[in-house]
Amino acid sequence: MSAPAWRTSPARSPRGTGPVSRTVTTALLGLSAVYFLFPLWWLLVSATKPFGEQFSGSGLWFGGFGLFGNIARLTSQDGGIFWRWMANSVLYCGVGALLGTAFSALAGYALAKFDFPGRGAVFGVVLAAVLVPKVLFTLPLYLMFSGVHLINNPLAVLLPSVVSPFGVYLSRVFAAQTIPDEVLEAGRIDGAGEFRIFRAIGVRMMLPALVTIFLFQFVEVWNNYLLPAMVLGDDRLQPVTVGLVGWNASHVAVPPPLVVIGSLVSVVPLVIAFLALQRFWRAGLTAGAVK
Amino acid sequence: MINVAAPADARTGKRPPGIRPPATTRPGAPRPRARRLRPLWFCAPFLALFAAMYVAPIVYAAVSSLFTVHRSGLGLTAPSKVFDPLGNYARALHDGAFTGALGRVALFGVVQVPLMLCLALALALLIDAKSARGKGFFRLAGFLPYAIPGVSAALVWSFMYSSQSSPINRLLAPLGVSVPFFDGHLVLWSVANIVTWSWVGYNMIIIYSALQAIPAEVLEAARMDGASALRVAWSIKVPAIRGALVLTAVFSIIGSAQLFNEPTVLRPVSGGAISSSFTPLMSAQSAVAAGNYPYAAAQSVVLAVLVGVVSFVFLKLTGRGGKA
Amino acid sequence: MKRFIARFAGVAGALALSVAAAGCSGSPAGTASPSGKASITFWGWAPGYADAVKAFDKSHPDIHVTYQAVQPGAKGGYQKMLNAVQAGNAPCLAQLGYETLPSFAAQGALENVAKYASADEGDYQKAAWRSVTLGGNVYGAPVDTGPMALFYNKKVFDSLHLKAPTTWAEYRSDARRIHASDPHRYISSPYMDYDYAGLAWQAGAGWFTTKGDAWRVTMDSAANRKVADYWQGLADDGLISSAPMYDQAWYTGLGDGDIATVVGAVWQAGVIKGGAKSGAGQWAVAPLPQWKKGGTQVGNAGGSATAVLKGCADPKAAWTFAHWLSTDRTAFGGLVEKASLYPAATSLLDLKQLGPDPYFGGQNIYKVFAAAAPHVNADWTWGPLMTKTVADLDDGLGKAWSGKGTINAALRTAQDKTLAEMKKQGLRVAP
Repeated sequence: MSAPAWRTSPARSPRGTGPVSRTVTTALLGLSAVYFLFPLWWLLVSATKPFGEQFSGSGLWFGGFGLFGNIARLTSQDGGIFWRWMANSVLYCGVGALLGTAFSALAGYALAKFDFPGRGAVFGVVLAAVLVPKVLFTLPLYLMFSGVHLINNPLAVLLPSVVSPFGVYLSRVFAAQTIPDEVLEAGRIDGAGEFRIFRAIGVRMMLPALVTIFLFQFVEVWNNYLLPAMVLGDDRLQPVTVGLVGWNASHVAVPPPLVVIGSLVSVVPLVIAFLALQRFWRAGLTAGAVK
Repeated sequence: MINVAAPADARTGKRPPGIRPPATTRPGAPRPRARRLRPLWFCAPFLALFAAMYVAPIVYAAVSSLFTVHRSGLGLTAPSKVFDPLGNYARALHDGAFTGALGRVALFGVVQVPLMLCLALALALLIDAKSARGKGFFRLAGFLPYAIPGVSAALVWSFMYSSQSSPINRLLAPLGVSVPFFDGHLVLWSVANIVTWSWVGYNMIIIYSALQAIPAEVLEAARMDGASALRVAWSIKVPAIRGALVLTAVFSIIGSAQLFNEPTVLRPVSGGAISSSFTPLMSAQSAVAAGNYPYAAAQSVVLAVLVGVVSFVFLKLTGRGGKA
Repeated sequence: MKRFIARFAGVAGALALSVAAAGCSGSPAGTASPSGKASITFWGWAPGYADAVKAFDKSHPDIHVTYQAVQPGAKGGYQKMLNAVQAGNAPCLAQLGYETLPSFAAQGALENVAKYASADEGDYQKAAWRSVTLGGNVYGAPVDTGPMALFYNKKVFDSLHLKAPTTWAEYRSDARRIHASDPHRYISSPYMDYDYAGLAWQAGAGWFTTKGDAWRVTMDSAANRKVADYWQGLADDGLISSAPMYDQAWYTGLGDGDIATVVGAVWQAGVIKGGAKSGAGQWAVAPLPQWKKGGTQVGNAGGSATAVLKGCADPKAAWTFAHWLSTDRTAFGGLVEKASLYPAATSLLDLKQLGPDPYFGGQNIYKVFAAAAPHVNADWTWGPLMTKTVADLDDGLGKAWSGKGTINAALRTAQDKTLAEMKKQGLRVAP
């Protein structure tokens, strides 16, 4: 991969940043952005229309402004249960992703940095588990949780969501790439315990990967639908996805426009999480990339 | 710890898809016994929950697939379960709806996965290109759909596809074009579009992260040599991120096999184009609804084994040579 | 390492606290507490149930009922109930459509409460009571019934100088007139699963019968073919809209006159009212069109019971609540207002809430349904695998309505698949 050194080129104007290539690049990216944002645009426009007009008109441009009125209606429906759902979602996802990231980091670090019998087997099994359809787990998990009286208990949603084989994979790869053995050895020679070394050196160096794992895990828990729908009977415990689908399914009880408005509002925390963490993790990635 | 995890491995009969740890990370001298046990403490929280939340349900499903549901007379009393290890499997393989569904997702995977990954790769390369402006915006735009829960995404797209009020068709109307999104032949690709929309950004970010990890000197050297941006992308960047591409491909294959949410949401408005057993998991789910969980479990096991085999073969084929 | 473990214990503790703060309650349903106060959990989805439960709890100090809203049955609620029964932590009571009740019984998911319930049999309409009893066992209290009629957009009909059709032949000619007046206008949306079953029910075209201890499936009978051919004709002539029922496009069509009629049960009044607000004042209800002029045949679509699920610890208290919900005047008045439920209890047929409604132009639509109810054919049996049967039926119907097959073929396929599944599971099938 090393480049032949004999050929010198004018470093002042490297190719690939000319106006033509810039225009083409931006045009292609712009096209992709239109594709990605089109349905979201529709969602946004619909949610800002006055209540009841969500499905009228072309749906592509604003018509009247009723966003605040809509949110007020959303808040008053069923005694403000929507916000309760949002809080549940944030709690389940936050706690689940945090613990999931911690456990993944520990396991991934160990798999990358310690030699122990069966290490390959553990890693293989973890990867193989990713292959099994998740829907298959729902009923067995439900029966297991029933056996230990965890139905209708948030733990039944939290426990499965802290297991992230993908997180283990990612932190293993990242730990192997970014943490030099010499640094760890130096720590050991200084007499530091393994966990201390992990905390002081490992976590710091793996931080960008950990943020990524946290985000992915957060989204995965947020998107989880079938399991919470099964294990949580009390609708005050449900996360917002389950609640919204329930609203969507109840033709009479909840006006359909509320589902559209609720969908938009429910996406906001995720977008904020992405925006807030994106900069952080981008900085981490760039720093890690120079290594 | 390792024993706990073993049954799943033995059951599916597949060797772990081997992404081997790089040799450079192997620690040097042997350590005392206490130290050697330490890694298990690190893995313990994960492995304990993994055993309970992944392995146990899989074993449960696999075991229940060995029984068939049996009733008698009018069947107005609780059914009994009879041990018949191959009954459900034989039935699944002769169930035209189920094998049809398998074929459908296979076709889906063969077309959608490469398409989506090419798109993700192209976008990642574009954003990574020196000439790109507004990188942050485009990266976020691509990633946003991933943040939309699958069920909500499908709902929004079902409005986009609606035969009555599709905004897309309204935009295309002046051109005299109207896309029949729910046509029997087109509907699979309407579903594919939703999946692509949701996941391109995710794959793009993984690929993009890998691109960021390419040493800057390597790229700089190539540029100094006068290699064009396209050439740098193709000859240096793509080979360097091979590992990330393989990874995203495997995850996408698994994802396609588990296609469920999108077609389920579209089904009521699809005018019959999406049947109750459109995908293998929908077929399994309708067996559950019919009170035949063992049969559903058998279908899921068949699916999992097939996915395992395909992923394994894929890793074997791509794994030779330059693994990251 | 100790510190490490202590730290995790701390996290776990914090987690447990936050969980407790989230207000979780893991108590299994239907336990009689030491104080003698019975505690019952009730799963349902009809609007208004929550308020009714509150009223019950206030007036009955010895029984405490907890209501939990679940997804409408076919959208996941039934599956959740069956899982809960299998896991042994089902609620005592659940809202259950009559069509699904036999399937639940067939999975052993229901509790026989004949001991407590039989004395109250006389309070219910005969056909409704028949819907909750199977082979001498009583599985719950009938709540509402679904006698059918014709909902029609009077404004559209008036503008074309049409009267509500009294026969299906008239209905067809009206369909032509309406579509001819505006190509965006259709007489109706397609009917699927249990809505379609209502059409067959009216014609006396049963789907299932039992003969001794064997099932007979008759979805492909001559009577069924007649109904199928009629609707196939309308579809072939392009007189049926492509907007699926309960879809947003359907509500829009109902509101702006593009969909001119709904052949449906009484509770559809609530659906139409709630979903198509802009149609207010335009809709009216007429008796169901007849196959023979001057006939009085009526079908039923939907209707549900409060069923007692297997494992209920206090079926007596469960029955007390279920019976109260179906017969209490104030509580049911609320259900009529919120969900247009039509009572299964005979004593409630004179409720003041069953009165004129401005949405329907001030018409007292319940009079039409009250006149229809006694003519509902009581001789209809649901099969033991209804979820499977209607899933297969809808696969075919969806295609048929969009011109890619026939309704007859859909019925035949559903019958074949149902028979195959019955045989596979060992049910007896009459030759």
